Amino acid sequence: MAVLSWKHHTLIQSLLERGPLTEKEFHFIFTGITGQNPGTHQGKFNDYLLKINRELSYVQLDLRACRDPYDGRVYFGVVNNVSDDQSKLGTKYSVPQIAFFKAIVEAIAQDVTAEGTICNLDALNIKLENQVLNSSGLQSQDVPAAFKNFTMSHKEKTLDQLVKDKWLCYTEDDNIGLGIRSILDLRSWFHNAGVPSCQVCNEAGFKAKLCPNDGCAVRIHHYCLKKRFYQKGMLVCPSCDTQWQYQPPKAEPIEVEDEETEPVQSQPSSNPGPSQPSLRSKRKRQRLDNVETAGCSSQASGANRKRVTRSSAHPR
Amino acid sequence: MSNLGDDFSQFDISKEEKDKLVAEVVRYILFKTHQNSGCPIKREELSQLVTKNYRHRSLPAYIINEAKAKLSTIFGYELRELQRSRPSSTSHSRLSQQSGVDAKSYVIISQLPAEVYKKYVEDVNTSHLTGFTFVAISIVQLAGDNLWHHLKRMGLHETDENHPVLGNVKQILETLVQQRYLQKDKVSGPEGTTLFYELAERALDGTVSERIKQYISQIVKKDDATVDIL
Repeated sequence: MAVLSWKHHTLIQSLLERGPLTEKEFHFIFTGITGQNPGTHQGKFNDYLLKINRELSYVQLDLRACRDPYDGRVYFGVVNNVSDDQSKLGTKYSVPQIAFFKAIVEAIAQDVTAEGTICNLDALNIKLENQVLNSSGLQSQDVPAAFKNFTMSHKEKTLDQLVKDKWLCYTEDDNIGLGIRSILDLRSWFHNAGVPSCQVCNEAGFKAKLCPNDGCAVRIHHYCLKKRFYQKGMLVCPSCDTQWQYQPPKAEPIEVEDEETEPVQSQPSSNPGPSQPSLRSKRKRQRLDNVETAGCSSQASGANRKRVTRSSAHPR
Repeated sequence: MSNLGDDFSQFDISKEEKDKLVAEVVRYILFKTHQNSGCPIKREELSQLVTKNYRHRSLPAYIINEAKAKLSTIFGYELRELQRSRPSSTSHSRLSQQSGVDAKSYVIISQLPAEVYKKYVEDVNTSHLTGFTFVAISIVQLAGDNLWHHLKRMGLHETDENHPVLGNVKQILETLVQQRYLQKDKVSGPEGTTLFYELAERALDGTVSERIKQYISQIVKKDDATVDIL
């Protein structure tokens, strides 16, 4: 007896073939095949996802949604739940490339300022030998040759590939942030690694705003903050009672859609950006309201070099 | 279906163990397909997943069948079996094959209707590759020993590493060989060794080969029979 129909299969296959999709794209597919909009037929949409996940659990996979902290949009993806021998095959990256990626993720996640980025230069200067030492306490002479031979140009190429595959992303200020695949995939890793969660939504807060009170550990995602601010007019830290400042976005129109998102968070998504432009220009347009500046002073020459080679035409 | 499903008792394993094995095989197929971009997976690799822990002789076949069913019901993928029925006309030295054994291999194919696949599932970022695959197979079907000659006429050169859409053309052709759409053969001729291409099992597979003939005849505007003769 078939539990899943071709409609469920379409949803699953679209995510497997095309990778993580934005909520808009995913809803578009759902509307196209069922004739019903998930916005107005929330129950039916949830039902579909529930059924899909029940079947996917047989193979330890999960269809889930999460919010990208860099652009505030919700994405759907099929994620692997168990790290076993089979899943270790599922990568085209080599061992040093994976170590490099891991080092970047750790650096971003453990940043105490919660910028959620690592500057390009720092990424390129990561020493893979340190990765080996950290994980198994080996002597430096036991570092595999591949790690030692992982040159700067290898790192650059790897970075590009990781961004293309959406494990990392280029942020507006030419830094490197976590890509949507990492955010979907590494949820449990963040919790295990002790990355503090957002006070409002309880998801990993590696890119969030910190409480202005230095002694307070509370952090809140920018979009969670925005929502609270609009709801209550002001925000007082739940833990230390300090008042939080909130600067409304300067350039983007304030459109707060009331679309409920399934299944994890129920926050409005405001996404004025278009759907398919190149990664970097997309992030730029979304982040006109960005209050932060990643502080990498020697960045300039490196950044310029990069901007020349990538021909995304942003007006800088 | 339910009867077959309960038959695992003959293998002396519990339902949980059976489910675990099936899940492993399904996961292996999915991850491996992603890793090698759709190159066929050898049946031997799947059997090994079972036999490394369980000795029963016909268990691998049973598990693979169950995995095939699960791929279909959960994902809507068909586990298509390819037969390496046509060994290369020259010696086997270039390709690593099992001597004499009909090596079965598998690919997964979406079972969705074509319009649905095209509209919602297809990754538009790779359609140029699919297009090229079709062109290459068609040419080989019609004139196998002259593939590069014909590609040159379309502006694709062997030494071209920076084609605006395809990048390194030679590499893409290599990928087609790995994906078993084509196979390469060396022939020692009067001018030295020349390389020529033949269709391999993936292109010879029933439905694929039928469709290709249909498309070719549409383009050439002759009927199927004439295409065969060429």
